[in-house]
Amino acid sequence: MIRALYFITLFICALPFIPGLLGLILPAFSWLPSLGMLTPNVNAFTLLASWPGLSHSVLLTLLTGLGSTVLAVLFCFLLLRQYWNSPYWQRIELSLSPMLAIPHIAFAIGFAFTFSSTGWFFRTLEALGFNTEGWFSIIRDQYAVGLLLALAIKETPFLLLMSIAVLQQIKVTQLLSVASALGYSHKQAWLKVILPQWLPAMRLPIFAVAAYGCSVVDVALILGPSRPVTLSVLVWQWFNDPDLSLLPRAAVSALLLLSISLLILALIRALEWYLLQYCRQWQVAGAHAAQSQGIGSRRHYLLYTPFVGVSVMAVVLLLLWSFAQRWRFPDLLPTSYSLRFWQQESLSLLKLSANSISLALLSSFCALILAIVCLEYRQKYQRGLPAWLIALPMILPQLSLLFGMQISTYFIPGNWYWLWVAWSHLFFVFPYLYLALDGPWRNYDIRLDQCARSLGFNGWQTWWRVKRPLLLPAICLALAVGISTSLAQYLPTQMLGAGRISTITTEAVALASGQDRRVSAVYGLLQGMLPFIFFTLAIAASRYSLRANRSHQQKRRANADDIIAAKPHYR
Amino acid sequence: MKKLFCAWLLALAASFTPALAASDNKVSAQWQETVNKARGQTVYFNAWGGSQEINAYLRWANKQLQAEYGVTLKHIKVADIAETTQRLLAEKTAGKETGGSVDLLWINGENFRSLKQADLLYGPFTELLPNWQWVDKSLSVYEDFTEPTEGLEAPWGVGQLVFIYDKQRLSNPPQNFAQLLYLAESFPGKVSYPQPPEFHGSSFLKAALLELTDNQQVLYQAINPNTEPDKFAQVTAPLWDYLDKLHAVAWQQGKRFPSGSSETVQLLDDRQLLLAITFNPNAANAAIEHGKLVETAQTYAFAQGALSNIHFLAIPWNASAKEGALVAVNFLLSPKAQQRKADARIWGDPSVLNLKAATKKDAAQGFALYKSIAEPHPSWQTALELEWQKRYAN
Repeated sequence: MIRALYFITLFICALPFIPGLLGLILPAFSWLPSLGMLTPNVNAFTLLASWPGLSHSVLLTLLTGLGSTVLAVLFCFLLLRQYWNSPYWQRIELSLSPMLAIPHIAFAIGFAFTFSSTGWFFRTLEALGFNTEGWFSIIRDQYAVGLLLALAIKETPFLLLMSIAVLQQIKVTQLLSVASALGYSHKQAWLKVILPQWLPAMRLPIFAVAAYGCSVVDVALILGPSRPVTLSVLVWQWFNDPDLSLLPRAAVSALLLLSISLLILALIRALEWYLLQYCRQWQVAGAHAAQSQGIGSRRHYLLYTPFVGVSVMAVVLLLLWSFAQRWRFPDLLPTSYSLRFWQQESLSLLKLSANSISLALLSSFCALILAIVCLEYRQKYQRGLPAWLIALPMILPQLSLLFGMQISTYFIPGNWYWLWVAWSHLFFVFPYLYLALDGPWRNYDIRLDQCARSLGFNGWQTWWRVKRPLLLPAICLALAVGISTSLAQYLPTQMLGAGRISTITTEAVALASGQDRRVSAVYGLLQGMLPFIFFTLAIAASRYSLRANRSHQQKRRANADDIIAAKPHYR
Repeated sequence: MKKLFCAWLLALAASFTPALAASDNKVSAQWQETVNKARGQTVYFNAWGGSQEINAYLRWANKQLQAEYGVTLKHIKVADIAETTQRLLAEKTAGKETGGSVDLLWINGENFRSLKQADLLYGPFTELLPNWQWVDKSLSVYEDFTEPTEGLEAPWGVGQLVFIYDKQRLSNPPQNFAQLLYLAESFPGKVSYPQPPEFHGSSFLKAALLELTDNQQVLYQAINPNTEPDKFAQVTAPLWDYLDKLHAVAWQQGKRFPSGSSETVQLLDDRQLLLAITFNPNAANAAIEHGKLVETAQTYAFAQGALSNIHFLAIPWNASAKEGALVAVNFLLSPKAQQRKADARIWGDPSVLNLKAATKKDAAQGFALYKSIAEPHPSWQTALELEWQKRYAN
């Protein structure tokens, strides 16, 4: 049964790669019969190599991809060390859902509203009497500082969320008390005891962040450098080139982007191996005299404030802009307000939301079942999906992958647009769900299963009554991640649905291409609303299930004699 | 199969064209049949969806079409029409010769050339349309960026490369590119243009080259910079010379450029730039109407005229609702629809119809078109973009 399901998963989630990659590789060698290109050649490769500024673009992509990931991991680790199990943690956890819910594109717009050369930050400086003309601004700067920072800030909450389930599994409190009993300070214990367990469990989420950082287009268009652009933007521009005969060049550049992204993942993996496996003396070098005052020195929100601050600023400015009729530089507030931008869009909102939600729920629940199947299969047969296969849909430029997928759907007669869109969502949601569950599954103590089996539960009962309750928090969060991923899909919805299935996101992206700040703000907020609801639900559910679990355990402890005395029911 | 189909279409078109010339009655019978067939069809119109005004206009068109012809016009909003051309190419690759997902699309220039060369368009159809008679043939409706349209697309509106300035901040706007440079030198950091290959940026380069070169004629013939590097270098030398000087005193010292027309409008409003650039000769009025610009903003063109092009409507070869699409195009070309489109409070896109089409009540469209300069051959645009990339992208 589980084996059959596993192969169904492979079929659904790996099959699209075949047309997807074919649709990338064949055009790369200039083989496109529908355009009359019938002789394969490598012209497109030379065309790409001779593109001025290519190496610069590649460097920028390496810098933003690797830099934003390393920064985000660092931020995440420092925040965890500071706040995990502290009274502030609950508040941080509460703040995660709104921060995660802000779509990348809305965050980028808000970030730009804040820091661009006519943004709110510079308006404040002007109000204070500075003349900011010609000052350096981090929006679209040539070193990609703004892009790198924005990505790092935006991804940190995601890593924090992924860490919750991981840390709940690796009994942090016990480890820390043992470590402190052995003379390790709080900081040292986190570095030498928790980090080596946390990092491997976070591998896939980190890969996802890195893959996103390399291949992101929309955020890079708003915040990234323009001379030259990052490689991902270049690929996107080339795929959108009206001259179809230049499609091979786009395909080759997509292959290049793919290899760069894979290189970055390899580098991150190598870094992890170097720190944790190869060069591990620092871990076992013992405790040093504690320089800091240990746990007592936790400073309030200082570390976390910038993350909340930037996000709140972004949302506030989005709100202001969505109601602004006139708001010139350097006015601190709009000079006239209007409701028209909300009114114009409110008509179709209900239908768009219904489409978005139904697609998201369907694809995420299917993906959840498939991901659990894969993870159980791995536990049973010690054979899992290779990490690169999981990461592939996240790294590959969607545009290039979808071209091949789109062609293959046309070979099937009939117009099954809704089905194809749901399938493509499943395809892109699955890796995120899988990576969200990967860590918790890895850290699940398999002896609990063995124990339950030895007490007479069959496989299903063990899963449902022992494993599921323990992993429910992770499952809730994973679902929320999946749903928000599905809600954000633009290209798959548009391309496989032939534009006939419109969601909040397709509408938002189409309207954002007009670059009206007000309209962008309205849709940025609307786009954040649905994920916000789902993240809040998920975090509430995960907390509730934890609590329910705990009270359940206590109840059992009260009747411990009963359990020991009663005869196990063999079935 | 494909050839057969095309041949059939050609034959069909050929049989219509003389009939059109011969008698009006026969045409209307023919047209009546199309209208009958179209009833109940849904036309999926793929068009850029980045403007609330245009989207609202298309919603209005849909209501009218439903009431008058029983045709539903569904606006498929895309961020870039290249998404649609890609989809058509995918359908072609998969051999989907009928029942395509696109019935009508809004294109011009390079996109049209691409689709035409790949045989992805239906037609010729323009002469089948009763409202074709109203179209102002003095506009370049037979050529799209020097590419003959051959009836494969019907004109919808006019774009003219013009500038917007704020009367309060700039009393004497530059009348040519030399004066523009002078303005930039007098006010360093206040002049810029969108970064090519963005549409407006590339058009700025073409307009500048047209003024600066002493050999305009050559720009209307194809160029291949790989095989004729000397010719290209010689013709374009004045442009690079000019840009070198302009960038030194441009916004952000020429290290950064606005991403497109909208950003120049935004920067004009934020008092960062003195001039914004747009392809809609009515843009200033529309922008004031929507709160994007101060009321003293005004559109104008350089003395040499404005680089002009027409945007078109085309029907893919495999459209499912061809009759519905024809009826929709015909409606969009009607005096009523064109007049509403030209209204600055609605959209403000100039009409493509001649004055005879206008009834007395709406004799003028509220504004006149500027003197127009035809678009150079598209190969120049590609070559200029690449050369710009080489010189300034790093």
